Amino acid sequence: MATHIPGLLEEKLRAGITSSKVLVVGAGGIGCELLKDLVLAGFEDIEVIDLDTIDVSNLNRQFLFQKKHVGKSKAEVAKESALRFNPRASITAHHDSIIKSTYGMSFYQKFDLVMNALDNRSARNHVNRMCLAADIPLVESGTAGYLGQVTVIKKGVTECYECQPKPSQKTYPGCTIRNTPSEPIHCIVWAKHLFNQLFGEADPDEDVSPDAADPEQVGQAGQAALGDDKDHNTHTDGNVTRVSTRAWAKSHQYQAKKLFTKLFTEDIHYLLTMDKLWEKRRKPTPLLWDSLPSDGDDNDNNDGLIEDQRPWSVERCRQVFETAVNNLYNRVKGRVVWDNNDGLIEDQRPWSVERCRQVFETAVNNLYNRVKSEEKEKEDTEDDVSLTWDKDDPDSMDFVTSCANIRAHIFNIPQKTRFDVKSMAGAIIPAIATTNAIIAGVIVLEAMKLLTEDARGYWWAAPSTPPRPKCTVCAPRPELTVKLDTRHTTIRTLDQKILRGSINMAAPDVEIMDGKGTIVISSEEGETECNMGKTLQELGIVDGTRLNCDDFLQSYTLVVNIVHCEKLDEGTEFTILGNSEEIKKAQEEEAEVAAEVEQNRKQKISNDGTKTADGGETSDEMVVAEVEDDDLVCLEDVEDEVEEQEVEEEEEEESRKRRSDDIVGGETQPLKKLKSGGGSSSSSGSGSGDSSDVIEEVMLD
Amino acid sequence: MIEKQGENITEDEAALYDRQIRLWGLDAQKRLRASRVLVAGLCGLGAEVTKNLVLSGVKSIKMLDHRKVTQIDICANFLAPHDSLGKNIAEASKERAQILNPMVQVTADTGNIADKNDEYFTQFDVVCISRCQREHLVRINNVCNQNKILFFAGDVFGMFGYTFTDVQEHHYVEEVKEHKTVKKQDGKTQTNETTKMVKRVETFYPLSQALDVDWTTKKYASQLRRVSPAYFIMHIIMEFMSLHGRTPDPAHRKEDEVELLTIKNALMDKMNIPQEKVNNNFAGIVFGQMSPVCAIVGGILAQEIIKTVSQKDPPNNNFFFFSTLDGAGVVECVGH
Repeated sequence: MATHIPGLLEEKLRAGITSSKVLVVGAGGIGCELLKDLVLAGFEDIEVIDLDTIDVSNLNRQFLFQKKHVGKSKAEVAKESALRFNPRASITAHHDSIIKSTYGMSFYQKFDLVMNALDNRSARNHVNRMCLAADIPLVESGTAGYLGQVTVIKKGVTECYECQPKPSQKTYPGCTIRNTPSEPIHCIVWAKHLFNQLFGEADPDEDVSPDAADPEQVGQAGQAALGDDKDHNTHTDGNVTRVSTRAWAKSHQYQAKKLFTKLFTEDIHYLLTMDKLWEKRRKPTPLLWDSLPSDGDDNDNNDGLIEDQRPWSVERCRQVFETAVNNLYNRVKGRVVWDNNDGLIEDQRPWSVERCRQVFETAVNNLYNRVKSEEKEKEDTEDDVSLTWDKDDPDSMDFVTSCANIRAHIFNIPQKTRFDVKSMAGAIIPAIATTNAIIAGVIVLEAMKLLTEDARGYWWAAPSTPPRPKCTVCAPRPELTVKLDTRHTTIRTLDQKILRGSINMAAPDVEIMDGKGTIVISSEEGETECNMGKTLQELGIVDGTRLNCDDFLQSYTLVVNIVHCEKLDEGTEFTILGNSEEIKKAQEEEAEVAAEVEQNRKQKISNDGTKTADGGETSDEMVVAEVEDDDLVCLEDVEDEVEEQEVEEEEEEESRKRRSDDIVGGETQPLKKLKSGGGSSSSSGSGSGDSSDVIEEVMLD
Repeated sequence: MIEKQGENITEDEAALYDRQIRLWGLDAQKRLRASRVLVAGLCGLGAEVTKNLVLSGVKSIKMLDHRKVTQIDICANFLAPHDSLGKNIAEASKERAQILNPMVQVTADTGNIADKNDEYFTQFDVVCISRCQREHLVRINNVCNQNKILFFAGDVFGMFGYTFTDVQEHHYVEEVKEHKTVKKQDGKTQTNETTKMVKRVETFYPLSQALDVDWTTKKYASQLRRVSPAYFIMHIIMEFMSLHGRTPDPAHRKEDEVELLTIKNALMDKMNIPQEKVNNNFAGIVFGQMSPVCAIVGGILAQEIIKTVSQKDPPNNNFFFFSTLDGAGVVECVGH
């Protein structure tokens, strides 16, 4: 390898590479490229970790994998393939999650350098903290479509990954999802929730039935509920005990028709009884299993014609044709195959409501059979079998596509093709081989730079951004503020959703800073289980209480200031604020940059008559789920680094363009925020982030 | 050109190319899979370009190289197995290239590019060349120009790399975002964003023209200040290859460094460029091929090919340079 050929490398670099031990976190798109570059350059002591297995949609870029490897461990296969490029290398593969106590401080301290090739923010946050704690340099990276970035993080020298607050994940108010959807994404979120209610792990926050406690309707909750439906206790307030959606479905053997009737006929009738909701909105139209409209084009027509007197568009003809063929085909029970000459792939063709119903029926049957057969396998356990929604599982995708489109039809919302639903429900970030290759190359150059920092003359110099003093992670005594309702928020919510879910602690210990050190959450199993159901108030946590939250694994201690608030935005249980000034500043910038966006949004709100929970976003593309490469999108100001004026301009222009369409998908985040969100230019490596951007911007597009 | 659109994308292809179709669209994918590509020069850069294009799903790739696999090659060309030392490098790289994507036809040609007649290049839609002397690059570029073949060249020397594009009169579409402010009935305004596809044409210039620039003319003297020194480093290495019939060799690092600086002095004088334009430290970083630099330059080069073939978005006109001395990739348009 390069290090073995005399004269190929400058001596300091050769020695630095030869003596180093490095960790690669992630063996996906960037990870595969990274391993290749590393072993070729002569890095011969490498550990790689990835919990994922190989899927067919990885093969267009994760070139260490082939079709025969589908289903196998990414880390293991990547190791085997990379070894063929350099049989002398020693690679240790871990098919495991990096967020585990197995990989504690002593694990990190084995390495000279850690390289992140991750696709999600919580793992990035975790590795960031571990590297800060172990004081190991970290090269952080990410790609999305044509864009990518690389940042070097060194404790005390550069910003850490969490110095700049990242845009929070998009969530939707419960009432919008359950009662008054107005965009395709609302129906898709609802359909995913429904999947979990029926087949997966039910989350009480993911209820799909009508919500009688809708604030818009308060005062006249729908007493006229479906009194005749004894199976599921009428939809009164969410706190009333009722049979779970799953138990109800089970008692009916998941008959597709029963489910359909409850979800798309009865529940919609119930919603219609909440008449205040429909004062300014178009009413939904319940659907009947046995008499579905023949196509989705039943908008209001004020032309005074009867339906049969209206001309059909070619598209309408095609839809009618499709439905007719399907219906006829069902009648003769034969097999009809015909060629579509529209040049589309199957998933890009729209479905009629009738087609949705058929797909729904098949998907429900298949999923139910899967649950049943898995239940049989583990007969003795009491636990329910639960399926995990997976965008790459055809039945899961069929279920969500059909449910979302049926619901969209009911609410007069444009329907989406299976191809689009997959993007939105799976929060797919497009990924290509070239971007990953380029970014991996930049990571390795940064790694080489870190290993030979005194070898000047061969490397570009780059200014670094120092750590942010108020960072909630790398500051000497980090603090943040959480706004919530102490009367209702439980310790379980504090533990699971706030500390683990949002702040990404692995196993927090929490005590009240009341001079007595009252422990409310312990990371030891069972020790504080009895507290979980209690509210914060019951344990004496009120407005102004300071909580000392400590994560032993991450060596991370954070003071959380509680602010009691009775009027949170609808649908949110808590709001996390960093430093209050910081937040204010960010908001001002946001307002400035995104004045237009804001205006748009307001417009929208007034149109809808609904509130959006967290504002700012106007578009609908992203559901928050397992976001691949979620937050890498940020581009830095490159003015300082690049001298060529034209290049610069081109970049800026390009970055704007890309930012708005490819990368961010629908998250129409204000520009400034995105920029800052990226971990920005940092440190000795800061050039890297920029350089990668330069390359990406200038060259790829 | 690649106007012909093959049959429809199959469901298998849709599954395999899912993540990229979501980025560049179905039409681009169809154009890609109709294109026949020649990759000449199976060095680290050639291997990167081959990998990226095979993964993207082009119709066919022919790998052309007459050289034998050396130790230096296997430090950068990951397609050539370690036990293939001494064998023909195109042939040796074929198996691993094919495994990357069974849907692409991968073939090897062990001939010397210098011996290939003009006719040879007309069987391709795209020609991409590295490890090749300047005179042959110029000749083949002209052949491609006459036959409307997309021409790309590039190379990596140690920590330095470049690419060159000549795709003649290139027609492409570009997405343009338009913001329209509409007054609504209630007096409020609303900004609507629409995406329009706009057709554009861009003219490229032959390599001979891009290399033989008279920097003393008024036209170029002003550009000289801004042009990247990397452009001249490329010139110097091309000159080295013409004189010695090889690239700078790690085994003769000392002598070759001196030779590179000698060439630099002569060349800069000949072109009437001040010697300071290029820092002498370049001579220390151009040995062998560094895998990360091959990955970066090969990623750029392959993406340019994909972009041009799919006729979406403007290609870089006409040079791209990368070196660890700058840490940034730059695009230069020289020779217009």
